[in-house]
Amino acid sequence: MPKGEEKILNEKTIQENTLSSRDYKYGFYTDIETDRIPKGLTEETIRLISTKKHEPEWMYEWRLKAFRHWKTMTEPHWPNFDYGPIDYQALSYYTAPKTKKGGPVGNIDTTDPELIKTFERLGIPLSEQKRLTGVAVDAVFDSVSVGTTHQAELAKVGVIFCSMTEAIEQHPELVKKYLGSVVPYSDNFFAALNAAVFSDGSFCYIPKGVRCPLELSTYFRINAAESGQFERTLIVAEDSSYVSYLEGCTAPMRDENQLHAAVVELITLDNAEIKYSTVQNWYSGDKEGKGGIYNFVTKRGKCVGKNSKISWTQVEAGSAITWKYPSVILQGDNSVGKFYSVALTNNRMQADTGTKMIHIGKNTKSTVVSKGISTDESNNSYRGLIKIMPTADGARNFSQCDSMLIGNKCSANTFPYIEVKNNSAVLEHEASTSKINADQIFYLQSRGLDLEGAISLIINGFCKDVFKELPMEFAVEAVKLLEMKLEGSVG
Amino acid sequence: MLTMEQNISPFIDTVQKYSAELNKNNSPDWFKKVRENGLSRFTTLGIPTPKHEDWKYTNLAVLSNTPFKPAARVALSFQDQIQRICAKDEITIVFVNGILNEQLSSLDNLPKGLVLLPLNKAITEHETQIKELLSKYKPTEDTPFVAFNHALAEHGIYIQITDKTVIEKLIHIVHVTQSTEASLTTASNFIILGKSSEATVLETHVCFDQSVYLSTPLTDIVLAENAVLHYCKAQSESLKSFHVGNTRVWQERDSHFDGFALMNGGEITRNDLDIISNGEGTSSTLNGFYGTNGKQHVDNHSSMDHRLPNCTSNQLYKGILNGESHSVFNGKIFVRKIAQKTNSYQLNKNLILGVNCRVDTKPQLEIFADDVKCTHGATIGQLNEDEIFYLQTRCISKKDAVKLLAHGFVEDILNKIQNPAIIKKLTILLEPTFAALE
Repeated sequence: MPKGEEKILNEKTIQENTLSSRDYKYGFYTDIETDRIPKGLTEETIRLISTKKHEPEWMYEWRLKAFRHWKTMTEPHWPNFDYGPIDYQALSYYTAPKTKKGGPVGNIDTTDPELIKTFERLGIPLSEQKRLTGVAVDAVFDSVSVGTTHQAELAKVGVIFCSMTEAIEQHPELVKKYLGSVVPYSDNFFAALNAAVFSDGSFCYIPKGVRCPLELSTYFRINAAESGQFERTLIVAEDSSYVSYLEGCTAPMRDENQLHAAVVELITLDNAEIKYSTVQNWYSGDKEGKGGIYNFVTKRGKCVGKNSKISWTQVEAGSAITWKYPSVILQGDNSVGKFYSVALTNNRMQADTGTKMIHIGKNTKSTVVSKGISTDESNNSYRGLIKIMPTADGARNFSQCDSMLIGNKCSANTFPYIEVKNNSAVLEHEASTSKINADQIFYLQSRGLDLEGAISLIINGFCKDVFKELPMEFAVEAVKLLEMKLEGSVG
Repeated sequence: MLTMEQNISPFIDTVQKYSAELNKNNSPDWFKKVRENGLSRFTTLGIPTPKHEDWKYTNLAVLSNTPFKPAARVALSFQDQIQRICAKDEITIVFVNGILNEQLSSLDNLPKGLVLLPLNKAITEHETQIKELLSKYKPTEDTPFVAFNHALAEHGIYIQITDKTVIEKLIHIVHVTQSTEASLTTASNFIILGKSSEATVLETHVCFDQSVYLSTPLTDIVLAENAVLHYCKAQSESLKSFHVGNTRVWQERDSHFDGFALMNGGEITRNDLDIISNGEGTSSTLNGFYGTNGKQHVDNHSSMDHRLPNCTSNQLYKGILNGESHSVFNGKIFVRKIAQKTNSYQLNKNLILGVNCRVDTKPQLEIFADDVKCTHGATIGQLNEDEIFYLQTRCISKKDAVKLLAHGFVEDILNKIQNPAIIKKLTILLEPTFAALE
């Protein structure tokens, strides 16, 4: 197909998406010249990725070790999923947009204007004049970061916020020290794959005593076909520092399934706090379950220092398959781990998500609030682990996982594992599954709301505990997202 | 999956040998087939390892190293103790080492409408009923120890209550073991309730010395339309014994199963209770208590399968852990697609009193219907310090205060049992648990 024609077609797709069906407004494709490596995954591929990114030898060695370990592993099939085999040799592991005049990747000034436009369309303006105030953005497009905003402003207070590639180049000592310290490459199948082929991601370093003046955020966009996205995020919060980090993701609508296998590592030292929020809206496939992103993500935080705190807040509204268990290792005494999640599945989406809280230090506390909503023919599972080690005197946990079912073809499952090896631990776990209360709907309708409005309001209330943990703008976005997703599936 | 090494363990050899010997006697051919199928299934499955999701927290590796032999017929030396837990006004069926002891049992003057037969007679006289019961379950879904029990099925009791009959007397099945060497007992019990009938059955497993044995009882229960069964399984065996029991319940329309499980004996205890609600409007109660001490390990698994609409189930399991014991609870609730209007409630409460105890609990929901109300919960904690302090201000020593509160914790659940005779017997069986609080 000639290029021009494809472009027109794509424009049309956006129009259709925004006007006729409000299913997925980010489903467009940007036609852009790319630099991609051939399909397949061998040691040669790893070398190629490493060379393209001008990486030092130690990084290459690490990738290679991970790859060799990955080859010994088999894909896990314990989650509650039903999907065909993934051909790891049929993917291209590196796809980068070509830059203007052959300038370096990762600099906004040399980035193709078409790309900037794409991000604007997604609601993420990158150019100087239009930048969002109060939020620094790292934009990741396919395999590379295309630019990071507000870097100079952050540098003034000593905060490092850049792409992973840049971090390996400019702060090798920090990357060497922390990369893989929370999620080692041998952790699981997808973490090993990611360690071998990761192409970019974000790196944040908050120095001692600094409260990061801006919200940091990364926007992930998959664009190219027959490729996967493998990014790695590393956030280190030094003593008494604080950072709030946001993550958003979208991809074009395609009939094929695409693989996304990311790793996120968080480290907090004494008295530090990281607040990590995600709104995940990858393309989830059509009504028949065709297409969509396979999202296999390993996210883990480690409260290394005393009194440190990590909180995960996630709104999972996309992806054909979500396999994600943001965890916290509570190693420092008095450290706190929190997990707030809303997982919405519609059409034929399958989500198996939850958290792990590993209590090691004394007086460690964790809170888990998970809300699952399943509609249409989707399958939504909560799978969590609360583990109290013998050293964790005075550990405390509260877990609550509620599921709501809309329609009689969907399913909701809860698999909470609770393992306690210390006699001073206090744990509470409660879970419920139910449908929307007919009385509540009737009451709202009697007050003049239509059915959809009533349901939307009830769902909003159902998820309130989680939404209130999200940063303001994100919360508004999340509410809208849920409303949009639920449209047409109720009533 | 299991390795070949495990499959050729001496344990499996023993089972194969013994099962083959049993099949040489004159049981009917169809029953020989049941044994053969059970054996082949068990040989394929082997002794489960913690790699199996259902056996994640219970390791039975010790079994394969113990040279078990089939339990022999002995003269019981603990008649007084037996008398203590039995009463005159009940129908008592006593098994010693898995073999029916007619002297100790009271099988005469049975009320009208009650059929009570030893297994070897029942398999000839009630072939159709037993066959029909066994056909309800897919052999491939059998757990390893259901297969094991089938492979070695020889002794047991067959209880049948005819339609529209209420048996007022308590039916008390006592399994007592006394043996000098490591032995195996496999009781296979069948309880079949006819339409609109009602009965109360208590199944106790006791041992009064330090015998080493493995008991793998299987109780299959069928409740026909509108039947009511109050069933209690109490296990208070030797602290050197292994108990791997299964109870399977099949419920038809409008039937009510009221179950209770008490587990406070055994070195390693595993008790599976599987209920299939195969009719509309059934209700099921699954309550239980476990008390562990020393290095005991108690694992309670339950599965509540709601297959049809308008059913309810209620579950409450409580446990007190002392010493260095380990308790496991796994409660599954399935709600099938058409089982709308299901109401299911599940709660597991653990009280940790010992220093090095371990609790693993997994309340699990798998729901495929939308118009349901299902909740589950789990708590793990200690006694409330304020409560202890309050009692101390009333001149009650701390030790007594702890005992008093622990008693309260247990009584709450014991009082859910409707039959006072059962409560009395359970209180006797619970003595070691409370003695441990001293």
